[in-house]
Amino acid sequence: MLDLSRVAGQIGEMIGQLKAGGQERQEHLVRALTLLVDRAIDFETLKRKASQSKTTFLVAGLVEPLGSHVPPGAIPSDFSIIATDGSQIDVDRHQSARCYLINIGRVRLDYGSDSGAELQSLPQLCADSKDLVISSGTKEQVVEGALLNIKRSVDECRHLADMAAELPKDRPALAVIDGSLILWGLSSKEYPDFVVEQLLDKGFIKCLDDMLKLAQERPLALSSFISFPRSTDVVNVLRLAICPHETADCDKFCGEINIGKRACDAVSGIQDRDLFDSLLGVGERSALFTSQSKIVRESYGRHRVNFFYIKLEDEIARVEIPEWVARDADKLSLTHALLLDQCQRGQGYPAALSEAHEEAVVTGADRRNFLQLVEISMADEHMPQTTSAKARSKNARWL
Amino acid sequence: MNETSQRLGEVIEASTTGFTAQCYELYDLPPLGSLVRTGDSTNGLFAVVCHAVTEGLEPGRKPIARGKDEPDEESIFQSNPQLSKLLRSEFSTLVVGHRKGGRILQYLPPQPARIHSFVHACTAEESKDFGRTFGFLNILLNAKIETPADELIAATLRIMGASYADPRPFLIGAGKELASLLGEDYGKLKAILERIKP
Repeated sequence: MLDLSRVAGQIGEMIGQLKAGGQERQEHLVRALTLLVDRAIDFETLKRKASQSKTTFLVAGLVEPLGSHVPPGAIPSDFSIIATDGSQIDVDRHQSARCYLINIGRVRLDYGSDSGAELQSLPQLCADSKDLVISSGTKEQVVEGALLNIKRSVDECRHLADMAAELPKDRPALAVIDGSLILWGLSSKEYPDFVVEQLLDKGFIKCLDDMLKLAQERPLALSSFISFPRSTDVVNVLRLAICPHETADCDKFCGEINIGKRACDAVSGIQDRDLFDSLLGVGERSALFTSQSKIVRESYGRHRVNFFYIKLEDEIARVEIPEWVARDADKLSLTHALLLDQCQRGQGYPAALSEAHEEAVVTGADRRNFLQLVEISMADEHMPQTTSAKARSKNARWL
Repeated sequence: MNETSQRLGEVIEASTTGFTAQCYELYDLPPLGSLVRTGDSTNGLFAVVCHAVTEGLEPGRKPIARGKDEPDEESIFQSNPQLSKLLRSEFSTLVVGHRKGGRILQYLPPQPARIHSFVHACTAEESKDFGRTFGFLNILLNAKIETPADELIAATLRIMGASYADPRPFLIGAGKELASLLGEDYGKLKAILERIKP
């Protein structure tokens, strides 16, 4: 059991540290903001420097001038928002039945003269060997934990593409994914190529292809929404701007210098959201940027991820869009305006995403009920049930 | 039995003395005191609507005020189309009799309603059939429910009375039955009679 009285003292220490760092952070933020709107920084020179430099941090690709702030456009009178979210019950190695469950929440909200809503929760139980492992020839990778998370993201996108196909052709619509368009999970671990191919090329990217195809013939846009983002891609652009070297090479020039002592550390400790919270007015979006992450550069092709920040009443959110939305002024404007409208309707968070989450969520009680149902069904069929001693010990807590 | 009787919803909770039904459409609630039934012309239950509630579908999600900038109430639902899917209307009933082999019996049935039984509003004919005797009044008088018994009985009699071209004979019969059931509780009798005056 957690002894809160012992933690209380540690929380006090943590607050002290946070307070101490506040002053320095404020100075860094002022410096960064000055740079962001500094007309002396030549956009093209910085863009070139960014493309030629070798940095140890992820630097946003530049599309529009750094200090841009764009007001939202008008919203159409009739439009639809579609959104999906998902959750899962992972494989439990302490239970006898080897299976997992993915629950996808699907939401379509129609606004305007023919308003309406469709809310669905679609659970999928996976116990087949083709679902439990991803295989290629003699090699296989078990789907559980982090990989199941990624598989769920692919399923969310597939459902979104299916919903997009059912929309009326002439109706302006925005498809929204919760979180990032970038499957970070696949890039952070060394998964075998056949796993990446299955989940990314034949999975996520295939769904994006389907949506692009639809979007070519109708006013459909696609975006993902990240609330309270922690990214620093744009702050890192400013690091480059103040880097004294003509072309940055972190390992070569600053590899021996302690963190905190490098020239670019004058803007350290702040995040993109801090910058844009000061720069943008409520409802405005920032400049467009492109993600330079390895997985996007190597695998996303025509869906290269662009992003911008948007200022809401209470926070800064990061919106990621594929290249084909970013390069289409109407789709970009539609995304900006409709997401803002969704946040206004949803008390600060897109209403469709909130509902998709509500449809998808699997509570602790749901998990227990699910496992119980599996056990009862097995018992009905007189199948032997073997659970681990650890699982039994958790269920029967004796003194 | 009239096949066109309106289907209101279905049973989601049931006990010996009553059941709760969820409406298919938001706010499509039968009036307080109206007679509803489950089953068919041979077997089923009769019940009186004694309470209704409209609330969020999920216990943890409470509705919030949304109309500050809307011109009218309808606009709230147009601006938030998901609301009609996330709210539900339910009504609770008191079982006041049942039908067995086509005979109407005004006492509690041996078994409660089954979950997901369809609940229909009784037609005028069904209501008249049921109202030929007044055994149901004793059940309503003794029910332990939130709604005051005099309000519920008066509402029931008003609605059942409306099935007749001339409700007087029905209401006088019901009044006499109540007078004998209530004995010396003149105050309650007066309260009911005042509420059913044609």
